[in-house]
Amino acid sequence: MLAAATLAGCSSLDVVGKQSVTSFDTILKTIPDQVETDEMNGGFALAAPDGTVRFIWSQDYSKSPLHDVMLELEAKPFVDAGLDTGKLPDNYAAYEGMLMVGTKLGNDQLEYGGEPTALAAYEQIVKKYRQSINYHTSLDHYGVLLGDGNMFEWARDFGTNSATGEIQDKDIVFALNPDPLIAAGVDPEKVNGWAYTQVSTDDGDVWKFLKPFNVQ
Amino acid sequence: MESNVLSIRGMTCAACAQRIERTVRKLAGIGEANVNLASEKLFVKYDATALKLHTIKEAVSKIGYEVVDKTDCQSATIPIGGMTCAACAQRIERAIRKLDGIESVSVNLATEKATVTYKPSEVRLSAIREAIEKAGYKALEINSADAVDEDRARKQREIKTLWTKFIIAAVFSLPLLYIAMAPMIKVVRLPFPAALDPMQYSLVYALVELLLVLPVIGVGYRFYTVGFKALIQRSPNMDSLIAIGTTAAVLYSIYNTFQIASGNFLAVESLYFESAGVIITLILLGKSLEAVSKGRTSEAIKKLMGLAPKTAIVLQDGGEKEIPIEEVEIGDIIVVKPGAKIPVDGTVTDGHTAIDESMLTGESMPVDKKTGDAVYAASLNTTGVVQFRAEKIGSDTVLSQIIKLVEDAQGSKAPIAAMADKVSGVFVPVVCAIALLAGIAWFIGTGGDLRFALTIFISVLVIACPCALGLATPTAIMVGTGKGAENGILIKGGEALETAHKINTIVFDKTGTITEGKPAVTDVLTADGTDADRLLQLTASAENGSEHPLGQAIVAGARAKGVELLKADSFDSITGRGIEARIDGHSVLAGNRKLMTEREISLAALEEESDKLASDGKTPMYIAVDGDLAGIVAVADTMKPSSQAAIESLHQMGIEVAMITGDNKKTAASIAAQVGIDKVLAEVLPQDKSNEVKNLQTEGRKVAMVGDGINDAPALAVADIGIAIGSGTDVAMESADIVLMRSDLMDVPTAINLSKQTIRNIKQNLFWAFGYNVIGIPIAAGVLHLFGGPLLNPIFAAAAMSLSSVSVLTNALRLKRFKATTRKA
Repeated sequence: MLAAATLAGCSSLDVVGKQSVTSFDTILKTIPDQVETDEMNGGFALAAPDGTVRFIWSQDYSKSPLHDVMLELEAKPFVDAGLDTGKLPDNYAAYEGMLMVGTKLGNDQLEYGGEPTALAAYEQIVKKYRQSINYHTSLDHYGVLLGDGNMFEWARDFGTNSATGEIQDKDIVFALNPDPLIAAGVDPEKVNGWAYTQVSTDDGDVWKFLKPFNVQ
Repeated sequence: MESNVLSIRGMTCAACAQRIERTVRKLAGIGEANVNLASEKLFVKYDATALKLHTIKEAVSKIGYEVVDKTDCQSATIPIGGMTCAACAQRIERAIRKLDGIESVSVNLATEKATVTYKPSEVRLSAIREAIEKAGYKALEINSADAVDEDRARKQREIKTLWTKFIIAAVFSLPLLYIAMAPMIKVVRLPFPAALDPMQYSLVYALVELLLVLPVIGVGYRFYTVGFKALIQRSPNMDSLIAIGTTAAVLYSIYNTFQIASGNFLAVESLYFESAGVIITLILLGKSLEAVSKGRTSEAIKKLMGLAPKTAIVLQDGGEKEIPIEEVEIGDIIVVKPGAKIPVDGTVTDGHTAIDESMLTGESMPVDKKTGDAVYAASLNTTGVVQFRAEKIGSDTVLSQIIKLVEDAQGSKAPIAAMADKVSGVFVPVVCAIALLAGIAWFIGTGGDLRFALTIFISVLVIACPCALGLATPTAIMVGTGKGAENGILIKGGEALETAHKINTIVFDKTGTITEGKPAVTDVLTADGTDADRLLQLTASAENGSEHPLGQAIVAGARAKGVELLKADSFDSITGRGIEARIDGHSVLAGNRKLMTEREISLAALEEESDKLASDGKTPMYIAVDGDLAGIVAVADTMKPSSQAAIESLHQMGIEVAMITGDNKKTAASIAAQVGIDKVLAEVLPQDKSNEVKNLQTEGRKVAMVGDGINDAPALAVADIGIAIGSGTDVAMESADIVLMRSDLMDVPTAINLSKQTIRNIKQNLFWAFGYNVIGIPIAAGVLHLFGGPLLNPIFAAAAMSLSSVSVLTNALRLKRFKATTRKA
């Protein structure tokens, strides 16, 4: 166990983390138009092709106004389905028709060799908060864990994306834990634009609101 | 002149011996040629310049006898370390057999000893030891003074080392198994360190597994050193299977670790470190249990070896001096106090006591010993202080002979083992081939799934271990012969043990076997109202000076009845007739009918009774007092108390019982009727006993001959099983296949029963050993999977393999519960 701990602390052995950087870079390069600097949130944002949801990650955790990693999505489909935003838990924020859900990773003042880039900011997550990076075995996806079961995932390899199930077999996926939303009044069957479905995970099948996209 | 001794086989009677003598004596250059039929040996003295030994051998062979050339051979039992399976034993046998001058070699996996008969003129013992070492095993020291203790200590060390290795292996392979399996178990979420999540930290996970498996491989290094060495020498053994299987698993896993390191972290799903680790651990567990069980199979011999005391109290310079047993010399006067053990064999010179000889004979009642009686090493002096003269020391004591005999028996192979030996010899290469073929077939059949093919390959290699096969026979023989020794039944080899269970006819010698062999007073008949005790008193007093066995029997009979013997005023022995004496003022005449007729004494009063006694096989002795017939004292050889019950037991086992005797038919029939003998072979001369046995054999019977000594030796040799009873003498031991240390005939059914149970046990062992492989290999090769059935994980294959040996040993150890046949109340 000591050896395990020692080895685990050695970042050069983090194959999954390193591979996730390469894979994330592929996404950034595949859809450069959908990646932008998000000055308001102090980082970078990757928008869904339909523009209804964005994955945002901070470039400096000491300056993040809300979360360090989060999803920003339109509140309307959920409000239409019965959402009472006042009943959402603390990790949710409702703002000008948008919902923001995510987590604070830390308060580190991140340092970069040059100008921060979207990829460099992602690398900081891998480097400092590796536990927030996940490999989703059953879908062959990498992902960033946004806390409370919310996540942003992308296919490890677009060429061999081997997930089963039609709706899951996508290149990027925005996933929400439906429980707090349902608790806040959402009727999951009435949410437009989000698929309410079961997702196979390492811990078994779980229900999620999904917005999957192909980006190729 | 040079002298030599040749062992001869095929002699059946004295005529054979004479024929051989005549033939050899005709050879030019021969000095003497004497054949000992009992020991089946030809002693020759010859002029070596004119006659070669092989010419003598050829001459004997030409006339139809087999010369067993053991005389210029020596026998050695070499303890061997490092054997793990039957293939190892075979390999060592082959290695030794390749040497010049090797007559025979038998390696017993269970005792871990090689019994080698070799010609010292052609091969030295050191060369044999070297051959063993070259084959990759350890030739240990032979027969040192502390051989017993050393052997025991060595075994203990070996067991301890194996357990230590197992514990080390388990300490590393349990966490290895846990981290390999826990992430796969979805039903229950087992606690698992996130830092080792194989899908998040694949390389760390792989490296930790590698770090955990390395110590396990380290403690199991022998599987690799011995296994690959054997493989290189093209005689693969069980270690080779383990080595190939686990090496394939480890190398494939290391390859995948490199894959992970180079970015293909999904290769984490193709790690087999835990298979290798757990396989080695389970095999070490199996070997540890096996070592403990193997130790228990030879407990009987260890018990025997541990019986002899380490010191003796010797009378020296008028005082008592305690010296080590090795320093006792023949002729020393040894003092043994109550509660002490007799240190060496000898004859009592002073004192009387009761000695418990149960450790040698199984007889529980202590035996009274007085001056002139023999005492044996390891027996226990219970009551008085005795002094005795040392006559046999060291390896010459009866105890040493018994140990040697049991050791030899345990080192021998039963014919039933031949099949297992043959299979073991080709087993490993065949299994390697099956594993390879199955792996290739599945690789092709699954469209190139190397992981699946490797699983099949490893499973077949690991499950197919010939251990159980190799242990099936020797362990049962060891426990069986050991159990026999505990009961005073010395079985001289696996072949005897196996043949004994097939016996359907037993021929008993009469005198000394069915009967006590000592005449005793059976009847006292009086005429004209003479008092029986008075008649016995007068007769015994008259016979007191007689040396005739019948006279001595009457004296003993009177003494046993507490009759006071009177002093004879005169005594005269009349050769061939009887005696005449003057007792208490009376003239006493005791003798046969002829004596009475000559003295004109009428026998009419007891004529009828006399005839009846004769027809019952008794010898009537007529007694006349003061010129008139006073009565008859009848003497006869009495039945042993156990004879009738033993014969009844044999009948219950479906065995026909015959009696062979030189007595006339009437007497023989009478005795036979008393004990329930089925068939009587009467009026047979000693030299014709073997022919009678042969006649029975030609009728298709499997015949055992039970006799008590030298005159029965030819018949004992001819019989399928010769059983020497009672004496434990050198000759009896040499000529018989089974030696019964007691005179109790109940040991005969016990010996047959023991043989039956041992052979049944061997068959069970072979069934399980074969069955296990017959079932296990196809399952491991994926035959069931072909039809939608389960696939055998290599770990379960290793567990099953280890259990197979342990189960065979456990079954063999069940024989320890064997109980001697007892008389019905």
